Amino acid sequence: MKETEYYRISGKKEDLRLSSRILEETIQREVAHGHRVIEVEAFGQHGIGGRLFKAEGEAVKIRILGHSGQRTGSLGCANTQIEIMGPASDDIGWLNAGAEITVRGNASNGAMNGAAQGKVFIAGNIGARGMTMTKQNPRFAPPELWVLGSAGDYFGEFMAGGIAVVCGHEPQNPDSVLGYRPFVGMVGGKAFFRGKPSGYSQADAVLVPIKDADWDWLVTNIQNFLAKIGRPWLFDTLSKRSEWQLLRAKNPREKMSKSKQLSMAAFRQDVWDRELGKGGLIGDLQEVEPDAIPLITKGELRRYIPLWEHGTYKAPCQTACPTGIPVQERWHLIRNGLVEEALELGLKYTPFPATVCGNLCPSPCMASCTKNDQYMTPVNVRLMGLAGQDAVRPEPAPASGKQVAVLGAGPGGISAAWHLALKGHGVVLIDGSDKIGGKIASLIPESRIAQATLHAELDRVRELIPDIRLNQDITTQEFKRLKNEFDFVVVATGASKPRLLPVPGIEKAVSANAFLEAAKAEDAVCGKRVVIIGAGNVGCDVATEAKRLGAESISMIDVQKPAAFGKEREDAEAVGATFAWPCFTREITEGGVVLQDDDLMAADTVVVSIGDLPDIDFLSDTVDSRNGFIVVDGFNRTSDNSVFAIGDSVAPGLITDAIGAGKRAAYAIDATIQGKAPEMDDPRPQIDKARVSLEYFDPTIKSYDTLDQCGGECASCGRCRDCHICVTVCPEAAIQRFETSSGGYEYRADPALCIGCGFCAGACPCGIWALVPNTPL
Amino acid sequence: MSANRTISPSTLSLKDLPWQIDWKKDRCTLCGQCTAVCPVQAIELGVFRKRNLVTSIHRVEDNQTSFETFYGIRQKTTIPEACIGCAMCAMVCPNDAIEPTPSTGTPRFRFHQDQDGEPRKRGGRRNTTESLLDQIKFIRISMLTDPALDAGRHEFEMRSLLGRVLPPEENMRRLRTHGWIPPVREIYPLIIGGMSFGALSPTMWEGLQMGVAYLNEELGMPVRISTGEGGCPPRLLRSRFLKYVILQIASGYFGWDEIIHAIPHMKEDPCAIEIKYGQGAKPGDGGLLMWHKVNKLIAAIRGVPQGISLPSPPTHQTQYSIEESVAKMIQSMSMAWGFRVPVYPKISASSTSLAVLNNLTRNDFASGLAIDGEDGGTGAAYSVSMDHMGHPIASCIRDNYLNLVKIGKQNEIPIFAGGGIGKNGNIAANAAALIMLGASGVQIGKYVMQAAAGCIGTEKERCNVCNLGICPKGITSQDPRLYRRLDPEAVAQRVVDLFVSFDMELKKIVAPLGRSTSLPIGMSDALGINDYAAAERLKIKYVV
Repeated sequence: MKETEYYRISGKKEDLRLSSRILEETIQREVAHGHRVIEVEAFGQHGIGGRLFKAEGEAVKIRILGHSGQRTGSLGCANTQIEIMGPASDDIGWLNAGAEITVRGNASNGAMNGAAQGKVFIAGNIGARGMTMTKQNPRFAPPELWVLGSAGDYFGEFMAGGIAVVCGHEPQNPDSVLGYRPFVGMVGGKAFFRGKPSGYSQADAVLVPIKDADWDWLVTNIQNFLAKIGRPWLFDTLSKRSEWQLLRAKNPREKMSKSKQLSMAAFRQDVWDRELGKGGLIGDLQEVEPDAIPLITKGELRRYIPLWEHGTYKAPCQTACPTGIPVQERWHLIRNGLVEEALELGLKYTPFPATVCGNLCPSPCMASCTKNDQYMTPVNVRLMGLAGQDAVRPEPAPASGKQVAVLGAGPGGISAAWHLALKGHGVVLIDGSDKIGGKIASLIPESRIAQATLHAELDRVRELIPDIRLNQDITTQEFKRLKNEFDFVVVATGASKPRLLPVPGIEKAVSANAFLEAAKAEDAVCGKRVVIIGAGNVGCDVATEAKRLGAESISMIDVQKPAAFGKEREDAEAVGATFAWPCFTREITEGGVVLQDDDLMAADTVVVSIGDLPDIDFLSDTVDSRNGFIVVDGFNRTSDNSVFAIGDSVAPGLITDAIGAGKRAAYAIDATIQGKAPEMDDPRPQIDKARVSLEYFDPTIKSYDTLDQCGGECASCGRCRDCHICVTVCPEAAIQRFETSSGGYEYRADPALCIGCGFCAGACPCGIWALVPNTPL
Repeated sequence: MSANRTISPSTLSLKDLPWQIDWKKDRCTLCGQCTAVCPVQAIELGVFRKRNLVTSIHRVEDNQTSFETFYGIRQKTTIPEACIGCAMCAMVCPNDAIEPTPSTGTPRFRFHQDQDGEPRKRGGRRNTTESLLDQIKFIRISMLTDPALDAGRHEFEMRSLLGRVLPPEENMRRLRTHGWIPPVREIYPLIIGGMSFGALSPTMWEGLQMGVAYLNEELGMPVRISTGEGGCPPRLLRSRFLKYVILQIASGYFGWDEIIHAIPHMKEDPCAIEIKYGQGAKPGDGGLLMWHKVNKLIAAIRGVPQGISLPSPPTHQTQYSIEESVAKMIQSMSMAWGFRVPVYPKISASSTSLAVLNNLTRNDFASGLAIDGEDGGTGAAYSVSMDHMGHPIASCIRDNYLNLVKIGKQNEIPIFAGGGIGKNGNIAANAAALIMLGASGVQIGKYVMQAAAGCIGTEKERCNVCNLGICPKGITSQDPRLYRRLDPEAVAQRVVDLFVSFDMELKKIVAPLGRSTSLPIGMSDALGINDYAAAERLKIKYVV
């Protein structure tokens, strides 16, 4: 090669090193003066050979002798060729924009850092962070870095473009021609290398096969490289294709796919379950279902399931009825047009539907009605009661041959006899008076019970019970005889012995019972001014009768707040009776009632109405009593197994209490006759009223005119109305109505369809559906 | 609701409840999914009566009143059925017609959660979102002063040491004279803290363990997980995965006979033994696993009969002094694995923590100290314990670390911090702050439930029914109808996600400090806080 004529610039002047600024200005000035071939004797000056814009595109060749400083050829232009005759310092070709730089020795750190164009040829090894942050501008050819030996650590870090070629010839570390952690963060460009790398960033770079075009480029340019660095004889060594590898940046999509790592599913199967065994962590302890389940589940995976609890609970009306009449069932029959059946069902519970349910009963059923909870008017049970006046009584069961004597033909005794007769047992109804009906017939004013109604129902009783013995004097002797003659004796003699006050002048007063009996017999004497001691319901009856008999002022006094309620009280108030309390009677005089505080309540007639005591002197001593009342158990059984007692002889109560007790005693006797232990008639609990939806009903209905209307407006608590609302509301169409073999029906939710939302329970008017926790798995 | 019902002092209206259900009639399709999914049956189908009035001032006969019924979703106001705000209804609603909204006032509800004299219990953590850790900033950003590193691209070794780290010369001396030096484990500084098999569902527990195994075996991250007190499934005890597990022993000693039975069959030693003396959520109280969560599986793993409540005593019953407690427990546990396994106590953060630490420094076998701060979560605790008891973690860790510095043992006994780390989602920042205050690592529990399993509990009274076994996500339930909602594989994947992401965030914090191969434990010059008193207390920079 012909030796070129160099224009020489020294980095020293008069043995003093020029500063980098002076040398730079000298080089720039000489280039501006037209010098295109320059030899620089360098003494470590910075950035020699870069930025030679002043050549205006003409090629400039710089040869550097001595110690080239940092960033030789930095910000280099495409017209510039630099040849460093020895090793190069840091950042050779930094931010190169086109210069070709040849280094005849090694280069230290940062070779080609930030370069975008140009080429750097290194005839040895390079230090750390070579070819880092290089890039390719599409307007130009990519930057190239050629290294004869090996690269230092972090080679190609953040490389974003360009071509690096590391020939691996006499590398510094034969086991690591690319240094420690090369190509971390590489996003572009490629690198040919020869020899063994100690690894590279697999997250960023990928080895690819060398295609023919790649190889052709490499072979051609190796020749050029070796020529530049003056080692053409190495071509044969470096041109074995099998010794070369090519690595390129992964593209963003390749970086996103984590193909190297196992998927969690594969890990679970191949690593986790393999080490632990089938089913993983607890596969040995329980069956593991592999799949996750949805939030909304069906079948056995439902957390809650609906239950059709028809008839599981009693309606509040039935619960409240001392006789236990299933009011809601009767309304259901009426709703379905089965009026006769509804009335007959009533007679299975009471012989007095019209007299008591329809007239005399204070109707605890209606008082307890769920509808009251929203200030709605309960359907009118009295209508149904009254309709029972002419109802056909049920047929009795076949005769059992057993005989029961019932002492007392009041409502309780009649009830006991009625139910015993219906059960097929022989009954004799015995009473001391001359008629049956007890206080209903003899004491209760006609204003409160139509005599036709009473007589119709008593006639129905007489039809069922032919053997009625009236005007019987029941003595101890007689009782003993009855006990021997009959299998069972029911004592229903009531409480007819008036309680009187232990005060002076009590003999001047009359008892309520005596007064009412005389009144009913039109035999009573009543003054203008009447004081009634004891302001209960019987006292109210006295008041209304007194008024009828001509009383002008009626005062009712009591030691406590008057217990009177209902129809009786209303009637008493209607006749002008006044209530006063607390009033403690000290004495009864001709003038009237003297109270403890000396006040005189003037009276022509004083009636004492503070309750009655049973007259049970005739009982044998096998029957225990306490405080004058007979002691019984839950089935109205006395301490004598063959003797039952009911009604006021046990405890004062309503007529319906006595009727209920009569039924209870009759059923207990029937069970005993059959050799069974008596059972509670209907032990079902009352339904939770909150389950009933009253929103279906019109709250403005304040009275009822017909049975049909009542049937329709009954909330039917706990008793399915068969309305199909659940079927309609169920969002999964899971509920269906089925006919049962016994002729009834039931609603069922299909577990395969039901999601356990409880809409059926929410919508059911009657509170039949309940949403309950599913059986634990 | 009855129009004429009477009320009791605890009769509540919707407005008294902490959450109100916002139901949109015009969007609702009455599909039943919301009522089917509600974990507490707070909602039901309601039948409503609507009154329609037609009136006329001119013609009397035009005046009409009529009623119609319609159906809709009704919220219950009974205390056990009060909405917990979990929003599962909103999750299943196909029409976006329903969601719970938090009460705007102070819900009167909280005054009535002590029915029958039973104080309120719940899961979750202290009901406040305030966090001192969130206020701490990393103010030391080295750019030209130290070689700053790039978190994304440079290589980091975020590792910590669990064990008694003696000076090399001391170790050599001991090896010569005693033939034994304390075991030390190199572990990842973010540890999954003790949540028992029982407190967590089987699917959740398996998911966590699987994720940890994956992090170790696929990603080379030595993440460790504590079992909590409730035993450990026999298969895990006999697997190589046991080395990733810290076995916890607590005052109830549940499951330990099964662990003892498994010792001869262990392929690997466990990572460490954690002796639980206290937990941050309920300082001074023990576990409260109720009978309804103790099913066949839990019973088998804990070695107890089914269907009984499993309370743990507040304290270890046979330990009467610090010296005795530390010495007895650490000795026994070290012995169980031939002194090859680090053993350390875990205590509630407390003004007495220093006494424990000082004692540990005098115990050759003590491998560290885990301190759980007041913001720790739990499956079941009395509200009063959770909300009002315990010590903040930051100052407790700082005091303990500085005490170690004072006696020259700051590199010898690692302190691990727990309790409320990441309670507002800033897990890496909170963890880094504690590390720079002096912790060698941090334990997380509630955060893992939230990030890896979708726990929806918050510190604003949302959900927090872990104690009832009705977790709507299946995280803390033992009912297969609930826990099967949770796919262990998906949990494992989320565990991996959260650790890999945490790792990057931690690097983002420590890279500017120029740290890449050792944790900046106690490097408090990097910390600043915009609160003078806190800065003084923690001995870090006050920055405004």
